[in-house]
Amino acid sequence: MKGGWAWALVLPPLGTTLVLFVGPLVYLFWVSLHTASQSELYGHALTIQNYMAILGDAFYLAIIRRTLAVAAVILGISLLIGYPVAYFVALQPARRRMAILLLLLFPLMVSNVVRAYGWVAILGRRGVVNTTLRDLGLIDVPLELLYTTEAVVVGLMTILLPYMVISIANTLASLDPRYQEAAQALGAGPVRTFVHVTLPLSTPGVASGMLLVFLLTLSAYVTIALLGGPRSKLLVSMVYDSVTAFQWPHAAALAFVLLGLALAATAFLLAALRPRRVQGAGR
Amino acid sequence: MTDRYTVGGLLRGTATTIAFALIIVPIVIVVVTAFSPNDYFEFPPRGLSMRWFAEFFRLENMRNAFALSLELALLAATLSTVLGTLGALFLARRRGIVAGALQALFLAPLVFPTIILGVALLLLYKTIGMPIFPGLLLAHAIIGLPYGFRTVLASAQSLDPALEEAGESLGAGPLRTLFLVTLPLVWQGVLSGWLFAFIVSFGELNTALFLTGPGLTTLPIEIFSYLQFQGSQLVIAAASTLQIGLIIVMVAAIERIVGIGRIIRGR
Repeated sequence: MKGGWAWALVLPPLGTTLVLFVGPLVYLFWVSLHTASQSELYGHALTIQNYMAILGDAFYLAIIRRTLAVAAVILGISLLIGYPVAYFVALQPARRRMAILLLLLFPLMVSNVVRAYGWVAILGRRGVVNTTLRDLGLIDVPLELLYTTEAVVVGLMTILLPYMVISIANTLASLDPRYQEAAQALGAGPVRTFVHVTLPLSTPGVASGMLLVFLLTLSAYVTIALLGGPRSKLLVSMVYDSVTAFQWPHAAALAFVLLGLALAATAFLLAALRPRRVQGAGR
Repeated sequence: MTDRYTVGGLLRGTATTIAFALIIVPIVIVVVTAFSPNDYFEFPPRGLSMRWFAEFFRLENMRNAFALSLELALLAATLSTVLGTLGALFLARRRGIVAGALQALFLAPLVFPTIILGVALLLLYKTIGMPIFPGLLLAHAIIGLPYGFRTVLASAQSLDPALEEAGESLGAGPLRTLFLVTLPLVWQGVLSGWLFAFIVSFGELNTALFLTGPGLTTLPIEIFSYLQFQGSQLVIAAASTLQIGLIIVMVAAIERIVGIGRIIRGR
């Protein structure tokens, strides 16, 4: 598509994204800088008080800390399980690798509410774990597994794990096997080859997997609401609660604190996991 | 590198088994439970029955939610794909800062925390007085846009530019070239983008959470409010299984049309 008229092609998608994506976010930010109002959506006076109230409040700081802690645990476990799985997938012949990746892609298409319901059925008072333990005579009273932060971690980790595996497996499968062969020919054992060659070369996949898992953890309101209890609320739950309470400027500020967290984590992960040179220091 | 007897091989095998169990078992339990004849959740169920599917279609709110989700997904996927195709055809042969920025913009809804987009759209809709249905439709269309865009972009970039030039040098105007040459060559990308956008819309939660209203609810949100306020009734398992069944049909369609491998590698 060439020529000046080609710009007519891009106008509909560009206009739509500007009006329905960029525009609403700018408006939300504008509202976050205003005072609250009883009669209207937001007051007239400009203020940064909404942000100060969140970042200066021990309650919200504790929620932010808990959000980061839960996200860090989910990232850690999904990397620990996901990396060896991705390695396994990458070693398979091409056709079987595609079949396994398809099997990993399918659960991502199932709505998160359905997958969270699966965990409710497993962890609930009448769930699979409790009835099995009771039938085995190990417990008399059902264990309280659901409505805990642990349930949120397990549920979210398994819901997001395929993203980690697919990202890393794609990078590993596209690596030139001659790198590993060269390392082994030069006398490195399997462990040294992995630590000094394979792992550094796979950092782009690790970075994109970690980013996806982190960003999706931040906005996973439904999973947290279904599996977590009142004490496992994360920042996204606060955003939802303040919207349903019609505290518009406060809700808007919370949303942008959440976005700030997402951007900071993105910058940090991208900087920490820049693709490194395999040969290391001796350039 | 067949090393299933080494320590590394054992580690990989164990991790893979655990991962697949954790990912697949919850979904399998939901599907098996949907065919339960019992009144309450019991696993494994004692026998087989379709009573919860019958119950699903008997409940007016479930039926309406299912119909609304289907209608939204059909319309939103079409809108996303049309917009995505236009953007992809424009950007397929362009390089530079503007093209890069546009591409980032069209792909942004893919990684952007959708819950924030949901709040922002609700606020905008409240300000301008947008009715519920078109509001939901536009939100789903924006969220589906990256899928339509990305698959068509991949198809359009692998296209030989000589074919379009041939069309134009033989006297076809830009519109005729678009409809008679370009679109027939990228239709696989268009169709698989549509199917992906459909799947995404059909399971969408984070914007629908804010944008649905009384009497106008999508299936995922209906399932969510049932789980929150009515406990885990087995009709939820039937609703979930219908969702999963529809996705299996769509994935089979994508696999037949283009082969799923292209989509995975494009990620």
